[in-house]
Amino acid sequence: MSLRLSGSLDAMTAPELLPTIDRLVEEKRTRVSVHLEGLDLIDSSGVAAIVALYKRTRSNGGRVTVTGARDQPLAIFKLLRMDRVFAL
Amino acid sequence: MSKRAGNQGVIRLTCPADLRYRDVAVRAVAEACRLVSRSRYAHGSQPRVHSASTTQTLDLSDRFAAEVVSAVSEIFNNIAIHGYNGEGSGDVTLEMRIRGDRLVIVISDEGSSFDPSQVPLPELDALPEGGMGIHIARACMDELDYTPGPPNIWTLTKYTAGSVRRPRRVSSPT
Repeated sequence: MSLRLSGSLDAMTAPELLPTIDRLVEEKRTRVSVHLEGLDLIDSSGVAAIVALYKRTRSNGGRVTVTGARDQPLAIFKLLRMDRVFAL
Repeated sequence: MSKRAGNQGVIRLTCPADLRYRDVAVRAVAEACRLVSRSRYAHGSQPRVHSASTTQTLDLSDRFAAEVVSAVSEIFNNIAIHGYNGEGSGDVTLEMRIRGDRLVIVISDEGSSFDPSQVPLPELDALPEGGMGIHIARACMDELDYTPGPPNIWTLTKYTAGSVRRPRRVSSPT
């Protein structure tokens, strides 16, 4: 399952992603790829949404990979030391 | 750009403290960063080529802009969600002061105040799902000051590369 995010993932838009995360978790997906090539901006709410997907999928025995972060989103993941977790 | 405009420009923006208006504030801040960048490169090396300001895409390829926008985004969120309880019942004012060696952004609101020094550092190794906003703002700016109000006043300062930087800190005078 691939998830491609573009534009801004923030306090305004992250709630829109939650139903998708709920569905992926309910379906017990074991491989989820999150592609961030098109993402321009992320804030702490956006990071929290991706972390929630990561943790909930992992608790089901699955794995989430996050790829393609650049510029501001990459800087935020590095600042929060999540670049190593997501192998960015 | 004239020396006066480059060193003493002030941009002021007031909008509802509602997340729907955050993008307006973010774009204004990104443009202020671009003006500082031009001043930054005025004495030598070439500036990066930025896309036109009318583009729909928010260009945050410049590290200075990326960090300032990150900090302002978190402060705006904090004011909208906590200061005004997500009701959009008040305004937030951003004043961007463009100086030769720094950008100072003063953000004021009339919502509930709090003490940012009491906000604990997030436990990053535990992959937190909250409590990261103030940490991000603190880490992205050179100085982050807060004075409880009303009005509550945040002062965010970031120095340009090559200028004398002060230690990163967050303070909240009582």
